Amino acid sequence: MADRAKFIASVTASLGRSEVLAPPVDNSTAGFEDAAMAKFNADAAMKDASVRSVELADQMAIAAATAGWKIHRAANPEDAADLVASICEQKKATSVLRSKHDVLDEINVDAAVANTGAKLGTTEHSGDNSRELVDQSKAEAFIADIGITGVDYAVAETGTVVLHPRSGLSRLVSLAPPTHIAVLKQGEVLDSLDELFAIERNDFLTGNLAGSMNLISGPSKTADIEGTTVTGIHGPLEVHLIILSEG
Amino acid sequence: MKPLTVNFRSKAAQTLADAQIQQSIEHVYTGFFKGRLAAAGETDNWEDLRTKGKAIKDHTIAHLDYYLDLLATNVEKNGGSVFFANDAEEARQHIIKLAHKREIKTVIKSKSMVSEEMGLAEAMTDEGFETVETDLGEYIIQLANETPYHLIAPAVHKSRADVAKLLDDNYKDGDRVPDATELTMMARKKLRGVFERADMSVTGVNFAVAESGSIALVTNEGNGRMSTTVPRVHVAVMGMEKIVPSIQDLSTMLRILIRSATGQRISTYVTMVNEARKQDEEEGPEEFHLVIMDNGRQKLLEDPQMRESLNCIRCGACLNACPVYRKVGGHAYGWVYPGPIGAIVSPVLTGVKDASNLPSASSLCGACHDACPVKINIPRMLLELRYRTAEGSTDKEERSSSATERRIWKTWRIGMMGRKRFDMAARLANLALRPFAQNGWLKKAPPPISGWTSSRDFPTVSPSSLKSRLKKRKKGEQ
Repeated sequence: MADRAKFIASVTASLGRSEVLAPPVDNSTAGFEDAAMAKFNADAAMKDASVRSVELADQMAIAAATAGWKIHRAANPEDAADLVASICEQKKATSVLRSKHDVLDEINVDAAVANTGAKLGTTEHSGDNSRELVDQSKAEAFIADIGITGVDYAVAETGTVVLHPRSGLSRLVSLAPPTHIAVLKQGEVLDSLDELFAIERNDFLTGNLAGSMNLISGPSKTADIEGTTVTGIHGPLEVHLIILSEG
Repeated sequence: MKPLTVNFRSKAAQTLADAQIQQSIEHVYTGFFKGRLAAAGETDNWEDLRTKGKAIKDHTIAHLDYYLDLLATNVEKNGGSVFFANDAEEARQHIIKLAHKREIKTVIKSKSMVSEEMGLAEAMTDEGFETVETDLGEYIIQLANETPYHLIAPAVHKSRADVAKLLDDNYKDGDRVPDATELTMMARKKLRGVFERADMSVTGVNFAVAESGSIALVTNEGNGRMSTTVPRVHVAVMGMEKIVPSIQDLSTMLRILIRSATGQRISTYVTMVNEARKQDEEEGPEEFHLVIMDNGRQKLLEDPQMRESLNCIRCGACLNACPVYRKVGGHAYGWVYPGPIGAIVSPVLTGVKDASNLPSASSLCGACHDACPVKINIPRMLLELRYRTAEGSTDKEERSSSATERRIWKTWRIGMMGRKRFDMAARLANLALRPFAQNGWLKKAPPPISGWTSSRDFPTVSPSSLKSRLKKRKKGEQ
């Protein structure tokens, strides 16, 4: 078994040195930008998302469509709720899971789904999750027809929905059901991946980094059989993005 | 995985003669190569991104000891475990031991070239674990009991009928060939069952972030997400070079990796894992383990001519661009990494002697260098390795040339270095070849020259040298 110190000493020797030296400042990597710079970048990204919210929502709609999202624009919360309901009906959903995003309460998604006759639930449990409860959450997610989430951010460059799994936002709700609906509010769209990772880095330096992060850009896809693109190999076959304009 | 680089010629010949495979691998050109060109074309600052990506990797590799230490410290700070493996055997044993200790039954694997180096799936199956490849291409390859054909499209050489036979025991020749959608849905159903019972996952690592102890995983299918969600134990395996210093570096690296790999702006999923499941999360692995493997990479690191190859981010763009790969296919290269990048890393990682044909399997056209998102100068290293196998290496084991071959070249050099000796040799060669020649050309010759004459004619040595002819002409003119 390779001991860590020995392994690293051997790498040091391969580099032609005798001890591990801290690298000199090199601006090719962002690793040398200090916390103040990181905060400045993150604030700028958030401000940009809010100032250019209309433009970025439009760009998001185009890029997300290219990535394979089915795009719906909703002028108000009622329209958004109707869109969710009509997707549930179209999919003949009987079991629907949702995340704990505020936007879903704003559009009153519970009533909208209940009106279609489908059962709506969350996989959230109160307090710590034992292995049994985790298994129960998994089983529920694997039989659900539709998963509904808000977004933590979106990225206009790539048509990406960003989710940080946490209590109330299960990892599987956007992965296991054959259909995923994400509801996006204008103002939540970042310009590019640079802005997203600037925010992540600032979260890290301030001790607020989430446990994990998923960037989702369209339906699950594969081209492993004769180069033909097919959706839904492991994750959703169909993903819907509802873009809600500011009221 | 046992290197079979020595079989390059016979494997290449086999692929060249297989019309169906020739047609199948055409996709790497029509799909990926053209996709990358289009993606690069629509990205305004594409060349700047490549320059930046190269600078990030140059910096990291030049201080790899520092960043490895930082990465390990931060993974442990986040509650994960880190294991440093000198070689594939150590890595394999560590993972198998862990699986036994945790009483694992079913292991799901995401696509990882490093795990191919370990031959991990096979070893775990032999140990009695149900071990399933979950990337569709890898799953097909596993069912066929083969090795991946391409870094990102492992089953690119398989036809729909081949796949149907592998997925459906009842499928017979002559049955209607299912379309790609039907086949994919068959695989989805089978693999869903596996995901539901999996208790351990092994994934690769596209980038490990030193400052935060995070890993980033890129997939289109979602198996990377399943792997970081459903099992109790998540093991990520990486080559020791796969580090970037900062979270912020990911935006550049993801952009160039994904555009170069498939021509997409982004893959369907990018998953960043910083730690195991938090207590109040609904699901997610209870444990996170990172295995960092050397397996010969230090040989590349300490070699100033070859170090740049550690910048590779495994996008596969050089394969798609290579006119040789596109004809001889992935299996000819005989080890985990095919194509131009394989031709430079396999000889160093597995031994130059057996792999001496790999650096020669190139026309040095430079398409790989142009395609590389981190600008690795592959042709320069191909030439370096050719030089070493011919005579440059002081290590006799590294030389592939025979003593006889070297003696012939030595004699040749002596002959070439004096005017009189050269003229004499030319006259002798002319006399020796004259009986075999027809109109100044050799149509058929004994070995070893037959290697040439079997496919084209060989010119005989002219009876008079250029110098003597010039002399005659000058006299005539006077």
